[in-house]
Amino acid sequence: MVHIRGAASAPSQPVYDSAARRRPVIDEVRTLWTHRSLIRLLVVRDLTVRYKRSVLGVWWTLLNPILTASVMWVVFSKIFDRVARGESVPFIVYLLSGVLLIPTFFGQGVIAAGSSLMGSGAILSKIRVPGEVFAFTAAIAAAVNFCFGLVPLFGIMALTRTPIPWTVLALPVAIVAMLMLVTGVGMLIASAAVHFYDVIDFTRVILQLVVWMVPTFYPIEIIPDQYQIFVKLNPLYSYLQLFRGLLYRGAFPPLWNLAVVAVSSVVLLVVGVWVFSKSWRRVVVKL
Amino acid sequence: MNDRQPSIVVDGVSLAYEIPVNATSSAKEYLINLVKRRIIYEKFWALHDVDLELHRGEVLGIIGPNGAGKSTLMKVLAGVLPPTTGRVIVRGTVSPMIEVSGGMNGELTGRENIVLVGALLGRSPRLMRERVPAIAEWAGLSDFLDVPVRTYSTGMRARLGFAIATDRKPDVLLIDEVLSVGDESFRGKSLQRIRDLMDGGTTVVMVSHALAMVERLCRTVMWLDRGRVKAVGPAEEIIAAYREAV
Repeated sequence: MVHIRGAASAPSQPVYDSAARRRPVIDEVRTLWTHRSLIRLLVVRDLTVRYKRSVLGVWWTLLNPILTASVMWVVFSKIFDRVARGESVPFIVYLLSGVLLIPTFFGQGVIAAGSSLMGSGAILSKIRVPGEVFAFTAAIAAAVNFCFGLVPLFGIMALTRTPIPWTVLALPVAIVAMLMLVTGVGMLIASAAVHFYDVIDFTRVILQLVVWMVPTFYPIEIIPDQYQIFVKLNPLYSYLQLFRGLLYRGAFPPLWNLAVVAVSSVVLLVVGVWVFSKSWRRVVVKL
Repeated sequence: MNDRQPSIVVDGVSLAYEIPVNATSSAKEYLINLVKRRIIYEKFWALHDVDLELHRGEVLGIIGPNGAGKSTLMKVLAGVLPPTTGRVIVRGTVSPMIEVSGGMNGELTGRENIVLVGALLGRSPRLMRERVPAIAEWAGLSDFLDVPVRTYSTGMRARLGFAIATDRKPDVLLIDEVLSVGDESFRGKSLQRIRDLMDGGTTVVMVSHALAMVERLCRTVMWLDRGRVKAVGPAEEIIAAYREAV
């Protein structure tokens, strides 16, 4: 079958060849680019369908993090009020920034991306759509959700007269890094979930631990010095430091935080995409 | 387009599904089995060494009893199931009509679903938005465009799916039993549409238990039995032999 790659075939004509060699990672990135309009549609669907039957609709996207943060504020404000003095921002700003980045963006994003393959099995077994599209859609939706959440956060900062430093202009860097992390980790979990579904429930539990091990709502100072290392070893801590640094401290975090963010986001994204590309087709092969 | 290049080549394709040996597949059991080095999946061969070559504009009917591998072969052609061994090449745009309604979202309206399913099939959202009225009109759903698809009946969904899949002239059309849905008048209408597509040079592969219809639409028929090609040839001949056998 040598003639198949003949120059005669029109360049615009799509050809499906089951034996075509795939270049790992490069082809996945190209896939995402060629499917960008589909991804945009799916992200909008993700964000709107969830609230389709509710009265407030998409406004829940804004309300959810505020309500979560308010509940925590009621519970913890008395206990951790001194954090505000240490941080020079109102506790609610500290709290909401933590809740938005860690449980909302990272936690919900990883779970959504992790269950994206199982959730799209019906489509994947009927129409030839790359599985990457669904995992990436879930991660993007989490990022968009996070950006919506920034609106009430800035609102609260304005209301409480918290100065907004120029470093907020660099926030996209933090958002893109987190998006890479969520995509990578989510794809690893999605790949594992293809083999056994329990992974999703297991991840939920582990996430609780990982998420609450970073100072989302408590000041890191409440942890004894000798144990602080365990908080700092958690890569999420560096993401949080980067985000809060840019958001209200007006400074980039120490270099080691930046290094952790840069290395973990790139490595986990590449590994995640690579593992995912090897395993997502098994969703269809498994009965 | 080069007409001499076959639009579909299936070369020695076999396909194995993986069936977990134990009904449960929990992580704990997986780990135990992994440590014991026990195989946890059994292979079920749904297709054995299938060969096929179709040129542009040819129409192939696939017949066979339930469980013969007809739908599996369609999924292999649609590119959703990679063959375990062998090779598949499909040239041109493919419209799989294997229940495209599966790509629909019940919470979205008919209008939104037309755009969504179109995008899943690789068509641009802008184009699909332009085509919404024509698609709805053809499916007889113009009055239901702005209600959620979850309120549609199965027949309405299938009609919408068919209308979306056949809205553009694909190079390859895969039809899996979709014509068994809908009422008499819709069936006639969809049959006519398939004929129009065939005249336009689309390569068609169809699976159906309705032998009379296969005989009417296809010149060539493939008879599958337990994953193997039992016979390929002129429609009347193969269908006659098949009727005799069952």
